[in-house]
Amino acid sequence: MAHIHLGEGSFPLWALVLWTLLGVGLIGAVVYRVRKGGIETHQIALAGVGAAASFAIFQLNIPVWGGIHMNLTGLVGILAGPLLGVLIALVVNVFSAALGHGAVGLLGANTLVNASEAIVAYYAFRTLMRTDWDVFPAGAGAATLGLSAGAFLMGAIIVVSGVNGSALPRGDLTIAVAGLVGLNLGVAVIEGILTGFVVRFLASVRPDLVGLAGRDTREEPTGVTA
Amino acid sequence: MTTLSNHVPDPRLITAFAEQRDGPLHRVNPWTKVGVVGALVLAVTVLDRLALLAGLYGAVLVVYGLARLPYRRLAGWYTLPALFIVSVAGPLAFLEPGTPVGGALSTPLGDLSVTWAGLVLFAELSCRSLAVVTFVLTASMTTKYADVAYVLGRLLPRPVDQIALLTYRFTFVMLEILEDLVKAALSRGGNLSEFWSNKRLYARILGMTMLSAIEQSERLVTSMEARGYDGDITLYGDVSRPPVHELLVVIGSYVATVGYAAVAVYGVGS
Repeated sequence: MAHIHLGEGSFPLWALVLWTLLGVGLIGAVVYRVRKGGIETHQIALAGVGAAASFAIFQLNIPVWGGIHMNLTGLVGILAGPLLGVLIALVVNVFSAALGHGAVGLLGANTLVNASEAIVAYYAFRTLMRTDWDVFPAGAGAATLGLSAGAFLMGAIIVVSGVNGSALPRGDLTIAVAGLVGLNLGVAVIEGILTGFVVRFLASVRPDLVGLAGRDTREEPTGVTA
Repeated sequence: MTTLSNHVPDPRLITAFAEQRDGPLHRVNPWTKVGVVGALVLAVTVLDRLALLAGLYGAVLVVYGLARLPYRRLAGWYTLPALFIVSVAGPLAFLEPGTPVGGALSTPLGDLSVTWAGLVLFAELSCRSLAVVTFVLTASMTTKYADVAYVLGRLLPRPVDQIALLTYRFTFVMLEILEDLVKAALSRGGNLSEFWSNKRLYARILGMTMLSAIEQSERLVTSMEARGYDGDITLYGDVSRPPVHELLVVIGSYVATVGYAAVAVYGVGS
């Protein structure tokens, strides 16, 4: 899960207002769609407990490059769908900000980034599965694609906003942010591969969760169980 | 929490501080804390001088201490915010135009040096970020579970409030499940210190966590519907309006921030 890797107060006021308004607009549109379509109890429960799992998974330190943390936003999108995925992204960001991870003022921007990850991952997974891809490459590819979209959006948001107090021209800022986006793309590949394995595991025990009921997705035994 | 990361704040520890300690900030109204967070976010966004930002950060650190919260934990929890600062402000410290600090390092792409302006920017971004992170953690560690749930239920639109309330309730359950899965894998000889050779084990732990979440949600639906769930999770308890003196502090914070920004930053009246 990419984040705007800037702390509180890093964006000028106009950018803070702009991204907050866009975030509120996206959430408003999703809430309208959800209310209009009627939300079932099981969807609320899935979103609530799924967000809790995503938030809990963030506590696990993955020993790559000195330690990375992930929320599996791509997996959340694949399992919960684009609408609930957006709401889960908002809730996870609210709780993360309450623990000092991700800025309160950047909730709008971070929600846009994570929502894009969930939405792209969902549609990419459905598209790949329709073209008869296997579960692992479809899950890994979709999650990597979604997380990469989030990484690029994150970089674009920083470059458009500029950094509060910096006199750096946009061109030079783009160079500084490019390194950060590159790092996030690397994490996206790792999280994508992990998501692919998780999707394959879930498909082997509960194919209905990934829309595969009736399709043979039995996992090869590995000799290791969690 | 021995098996999971210790540089990410543990929600169980945060809640334990809120429920079991009793400092001056525990008695402050939760709405007042929400208001001060908003004022602080506005302040660190519009303040433009390092001395002011450092003063603000210092004041927040004093408040953290007054709340009788542990500074040592706070230092560990600064890891992620510090990483955020370094990942962008680090390169900016080199790229920012200005007078170099000391000599310049020759590279194939040109001379590389940290500038004074870059250093000041780094310090400013650090103060801005850490001031709010510290106060948010202070607020989280001094506000009881029921009050946080009430405030979430009031601030967020439906159905986001319902999702947030379930998330808050089940975060503790999911943490226990994840921790148990990690411990179980370790006790059976699993090795989690290297990712690539154990990626399937990681995937199974995370997959089982997600699967547990989904199955918990399915059981939850049955019990919610059996108890006549109609789209509203009842909030037990109530958070009253803040007392007048706290309200004045919040209003004063906004007036001072907006006033400073209008006069000193945007030059209104000059």
